Amino acid sequence: MEFYWESTVIAIVAFILLYMLLSKYAFGPLFAVMEQRRQLVKDEIANAEASRKQAEQQLNEQKLALQEARKEAFEIIEQAKRSSAKQADDILDAAKQESVRLKEEAVKDIENEKNKAISALRSQVSGMSVMIASKIIEKQIDEKSQEQLVDQYLKQVGNKS
Amino acid sequence: MDLSTILALLVSCTVVFVLARVAVSNLSVHNPSRMQNFLEWVVDFVHNLVASAMPLEKAKKFIALGMTLIMFIFVSNVLGLPFGIVTEHHHESKIFGYTYVTDEMVAEHDGHAHVAWWKSPTADIMVTLGLAVVVFFLIHYLGFTQNRKHYIKHYFQPFWFFFPLNLLEQVARPITLAVRLYANIFAGELLIATILMLGFVGFPLLAVWQGFSIFVGAIQAFLFTILTMVYISQAIVHEDHDDDHDDH
Repeated sequence: MEFYWESTVIAIVAFILLYMLLSKYAFGPLFAVMEQRRQLVKDEIANAEASRKQAEQQLNEQKLALQEARKEAFEIIEQAKRSSAKQADDILDAAKQESVRLKEEAVKDIENEKNKAISALRSQVSGMSVMIASKIIEKQIDEKSQEQLVDQYLKQVGNKS
Repeated sequence: MDLSTILALLVSCTVVFVLARVAVSNLSVHNPSRMQNFLEWVVDFVHNLVASAMPLEKAKKFIALGMTLIMFIFVSNVLGLPFGIVTEHHHESKIFGYTYVTDEMVAEHDGHAHVAWWKSPTADIMVTLGLAVVVFFLIHYLGFTQNRKHYIKHYFQPFWFFFPLNLLEQVARPITLAVRLYANIFAGELLIATILMLGFVGFPLLAVWQGFSIFVGAIQAFLFTILTMVYISQAIVHEDHDDDHDDH
């Protein structure tokens, strides 16, 4: 077996050359890409975390808004209920008052009519009775006693009415 | 000069470089190709390897070295497995003006000199020694520049008279690295050559042995790489306790 020292030297040179070439043209770019990917993954994770937080926050906001809207709707309904009840009461009151007023008016009218009728009747009755009485006792009494008699009768009629 | 070794080295380097270039030819962050995925897997593998030997923050610098080592050694280990190119020479032969078969050699082999052109470069101890020398200088350079006090002190530990022993250990390291790799691969190739002598009967055996040789090649590449990383780690990582001698 022979030893060739040239082999050793060439092996050393070849290995160092290979190391340099690989470092420059193969591993350098590869490591860069791997580092880039690592960075990318890191960024993506951070992004995902951020968007998750954002989504959570938005969800909470929406929940709150929904609650608010519900409350508002409830209030509106309540108010409507209240106002409608009040309106009904008002209408009822107004109707009652109107009816009372109408009734009173009617009673008043009736009273008036009655009084009118009574007074008309009285004047007529007095005239008629004068006529009747004058016809009956025309010749029996003089003017003076006739007057007295008429008054007496009238008083009697008036008391009876 | 051993032309077959040089040729094999050239082929190994070319294969590794082309493989790596193809893998990174279409780099993508979002949609890596199959080859890119494979190379990234190798990066992760080597990263774990390096990180298992030294603190993580120091590991990054040596990933490229580890990747070059493991890829180059693995490709070199399996290079000799699939086939061989042997030429027979009856006269003195030259290539590029270099005489690789002399008349004496032809005469030595009874007029039939066989030259093997294709083999694993790592089946040559001088090549593995070259790799070990690179690692050797790297370890001592890193130890001396990055961790000087500790580096010098560790030669005299646990006692000053251990210095020769420690020196021996430092010399033994590259030699064991080189011999371990060479012996494994050379033995594999030797056995393949032996099985080939059996003729057609040896085919199933040859297939089994070639499969096993791929496994051995991978293991040896792994071993060389991780031992390099362990040595580097011992050289540059400062430890307060004294027992950072490795025995293998």
